[in-house]
Amino acid sequence: MNYLSIAALLIISLLLLVFLPAAYRWHLLAGRELRVLLTGGGTGGHVNPALAIAEGIKQREPGTRFLYVGVRGKAEAVIVRRAGYPLRFVSSEGFPGLRPSPASLRFLCRLSLGICQSIVILLGFAPRWVIATGGYVSAPIICATLLLRALRLSPTKIFVHEQNSIPGQLNAFLGRWSDRILLTFPQTLSFFPKNGVVVGYPVRHSIVTKPKEEALEQLAFTIPEKRQVVFVFGGSQGARTINRAIVDALRHFIPHRERLFIIHGMGLNKSSDYHAERDTENRLKAQYSREERDLIETFYYRKDYFHNIADVYSVSDLVVCRSGAGSLNEISHLGKPSLLIPKANLPGDHQVMNARAMKHSGATEILFEDTVVEGNEVLERVDGSALAERILRLLNDPDRLREMAAKSLLFLRRRSNERILSELFEDQNYNNGTGFHSIPFKPLMNNHRLLHLLSATYQASPGDFDPVRAVGDEDDLIYYRHRAAALLTHEAWQDRNLGVKLVGLTRYEEKIPALLLMLTDRQPAALVKRLFGGDFKQVGFIRRNVVQALQVLNRFNAEIEQSLLMAIADPYFEVRAQACRAAAHFGFLLAGKEQWLQALLACLQDKSFEVKAEAARAVGEVGTDGRAVEALMALKEDLLWQVRDAALRGIKRLMERRVIAPSEELLSQVGTFVLTATDFSPHFSIKATYRTIQDCCREGAVEEGPVQSPALLPDALARKPR
Amino acid sequence: MIYELCNLLMELSERFSFCRLVNYITFRSIMAALTSVIFVFLFSRPFILCMHRRSFWDQVRETGTHSAFDKSGTPTMGGLLIIGAVLSSMMIWGNWHNPFLLCSLAGMIWFGLIGFWDDYAKVRRHSGDKGMSERTKLILQSLFGIGFAWVCVGTYAPLGTLATQLYVPFYKYPLIDLGPYLYGAFIFLFVIFVSNAVNITDGLDGLAITPSLFVVTVLAIFAYVEGNKIYSAYLYYPYLRGAGELTIFAAAFAGAGLGFLWYNAYPAQIFMGDTGSLAIGGTMSVLSVLLKQEMLFPLLGGLFIAEALTSQIQDKIGVQWLGRRLFYRAPLHHNLQHIGIAETKVVIRLWIVSGILALISLATLKLR
Repeated sequence: MNYLSIAALLIISLLLLVFLPAAYRWHLLAGRELRVLLTGGGTGGHVNPALAIAEGIKQREPGTRFLYVGVRGKAEAVIVRRAGYPLRFVSSEGFPGLRPSPASLRFLCRLSLGICQSIVILLGFAPRWVIATGGYVSAPIICATLLLRALRLSPTKIFVHEQNSIPGQLNAFLGRWSDRILLTFPQTLSFFPKNGVVVGYPVRHSIVTKPKEEALEQLAFTIPEKRQVVFVFGGSQGARTINRAIVDALRHFIPHRERLFIIHGMGLNKSSDYHAERDTENRLKAQYSREERDLIETFYYRKDYFHNIADVYSVSDLVVCRSGAGSLNEISHLGKPSLLIPKANLPGDHQVMNARAMKHSGATEILFEDTVVEGNEVLERVDGSALAERILRLLNDPDRLREMAAKSLLFLRRRSNERILSELFEDQNYNNGTGFHSIPFKPLMNNHRLLHLLSATYQASPGDFDPVRAVGDEDDLIYYRHRAAALLTHEAWQDRNLGVKLVGLTRYEEKIPALLLMLTDRQPAALVKRLFGGDFKQVGFIRRNVVQALQVLNRFNAEIEQSLLMAIADPYFEVRAQACRAAAHFGFLLAGKEQWLQALLACLQDKSFEVKAEAARAVGEVGTDGRAVEALMALKEDLLWQVRDAALRGIKRLMERRVIAPSEELLSQVGTFVLTATDFSPHFSIKATYRTIQDCCREGAVEEGPVQSPALLPDALARKPR
Repeated sequence: MIYELCNLLMELSERFSFCRLVNYITFRSIMAALTSVIFVFLFSRPFILCMHRRSFWDQVRETGTHSAFDKSGTPTMGGLLIIGAVLSSMMIWGNWHNPFLLCSLAGMIWFGLIGFWDDYAKVRRHSGDKGMSERTKLILQSLFGIGFAWVCVGTYAPLGTLATQLYVPFYKYPLIDLGPYLYGAFIFLFVIFVSNAVNITDGLDGLAITPSLFVVTVLAIFAYVEGNKIYSAYLYYPYLRGAGELTIFAAAFAGAGLGFLWYNAYPAQIFMGDTGSLAIGGTMSVLSVLLKQEMLFPLLGGLFIAEALTSQIQDKIGVQWLGRRLFYRAPLHHNLQHIGIAETKVVIRLWIVSGILALISLATLKLR
């Protein structure tokens, strides 16, 4: 009985193992038409290329059946429905990082649920290809396909399209198992040497240039004649920075309302932390009175999303947007001049890299966003008046717009749709390997390398330090400045400290108030830290480096003076010392100011010898009367020679500045200084000699020394060999 | 070698009775010290030249630049000389059946090898920072720490039942019996801390070697007392049978150190490198543990402790956590230099301090 049941079970399982796959394969073959599963999304930048590829396939194989798989509530839910493709949802979530946390547990649950859903979808739909365009939305489908392939239940091929120059986390990880990675930028090939193919960015067929009149008729709203049209949008989801900035900028457009028209795509984002449409409406109401709003309505049209974006592009004279790969390629495809606002603080800075590449070809201008703290939130922000100013300047220069438009057309790699189709259908005769011009791509420096470069340059010659020359490119420097300023908002003091140094070395003068705020901030540190000798939230190093940065920035005004006066009485000795150094640096401005003399004289009594020495030097720069000399003379018997040395230097400066006259009496007074020192500089003669030889060899310049004539040489040397 | 030989000869015939001299620890100690000094004197010059030719230079600063004012390009790994001298001296004068000696030698060689690896990595990569990773170093040190702790509290312990007793200076009797696990953990931490402390101290010419000479000499005296039945009874020390052998070892070590100082004194012709500093640290910690003077070490080697503590407090608490300096500079000797005391002066002053500490420690022999 027992054996029988086991045998029966074995037979049944064998049958299942053999026949189920066979039956499934039959199911695959039974549907004769081509089936393609599309996935990817989260933002329009991921959805649109998928739709563009689908359009291409449909043109070539009209009978193709498509299925789009996405995540509920994201961009694909709106765009794909509208495009008329069947859409199904799975569950997925962004990768929260390797560290174990509640978020990572939720991620695992959502992902496994998504994979199960995907298996059901895949078994039912049985696609020949899975085309994934990135975003975490495509993760469950790719995983499920790989799983089915491993079980030999599916012959499906996986194609992944990567839009950015630096691959997203998901594509970088899952890409290695897919059949082909279709890349937009040649630089990305290094990430996928085996299966990567450069194809460019597929642009939807609907994105075509139309005559302006035709496009105007298609629009749902009317644009009065003889207006210059600016199209502002922040991608399919909308960008808070851009939305808020353009609302702020409207005020500056009111005087020009007769000659321009703003079209504003607010974005589809309706999540709890940012509801694009509501936020924009609220801001409009808060910023403008009723009358102003009425005026604004005459030249301003807003909508959450334009499905006929080609028409909007066609009527606009300038495009203001993010520099995601999608927007860039559409702009370039249509040859539009643009003003790009790259999203800051992204992994790999890829939006900045994209914008730089386009800027390099002369097709665009860049406006970087600031990172600021508003309340408890860290936000990116663009100043409305700055945005308005840039837009107006561009609109006032039609030649520049025309030039940008022409260069914009050249920027794109064309025929990317054909290249993608040739990869999908495995056309042998299509040459995919050539025809790309690669963008000049000088990598951006990371903050530490930037700091190293700038501080080395500064130290080499503080007098004629110029960050633009050190970095080599003004736009890059502007970006570095914004990045440095963003660091100032970080939670970890190490980051803020780095930010302070970089703000100083990049000479970002607009941030001086922020630096001064950090210097004078007296918010106490955590109690544990205070027990161990910490003081304030802006730790000692930060305050010291702020003072140093002010010195590098080389700017002086009343506010800076007040903050420095506060720094000179700081509880941390290095801040006091640095403030004294700054006082010496700005000495010519402070000379004769009673307040400063008193502060420095107080520092001469400091417990820390560093402060004493720096103060003594500063007194030499600031002092204007006998009190300075007296105070310095009082240091003549100080325990440490460095303080005595500094005092002597101070006296020397006073003499140079003609505060005191050199005289025998002064000499006799100075003669009472204790001149013994506990330190000396060693000099290794042999190394010095070697050094001169080294310098000669490296620079090829031999100093003219006395040359001995042969006559003076000893006989043995002078005699010529026979 | 000679120790074994003499014992063999004495058994053979009455004629060789003068060989009983080797049974006197004082004689063998002096001979061991002389042997290692001579070893260092003989081999230093060829060794320094050899290191120079192979470009085993100190890699603290940038390579390739010879400033007229600093000592970059000085050959390093001088620790090999010290280890070689002690080993050859013990080869001749040591009793290799003695567990105390074997433990100490193992400590010296193990830590010497770790340091050698580190030095070698630094030289190969031409950078003072890119030596062995901090973690690898700590793991290797821990391996010895665990092994040594296990030997100390285990059944083969040279100390027997005394092993887990904790003695403190200025007090006759054991303070507390820590039990094998607690005491093992204590030894483990002690060994790692001391070896790294010497490593940190080794920053100026002759700064590490002379204070360790003082320490080792004092420990040699303790070893002599504790290994001697009469003296130990007189001074109320636990009698450690065979600990006298450590006197010979310590003497050899002191001799090697003295020889090394000849070349290492300012301006140095050779640095000991991590090879030397770790080996010295390992040896000193093992010696203190074996002689039950672990709690004396904070006093005896107070300089090393101060150097290690200032360095750690400044770096871990101050610079990395609080975001401020707690001292002007760290470790201690850099602080003194920063205040404006010349290197030579700093070194000699710290010698004096460590000498005073050694004298006070020696006083605990009687003051209990």
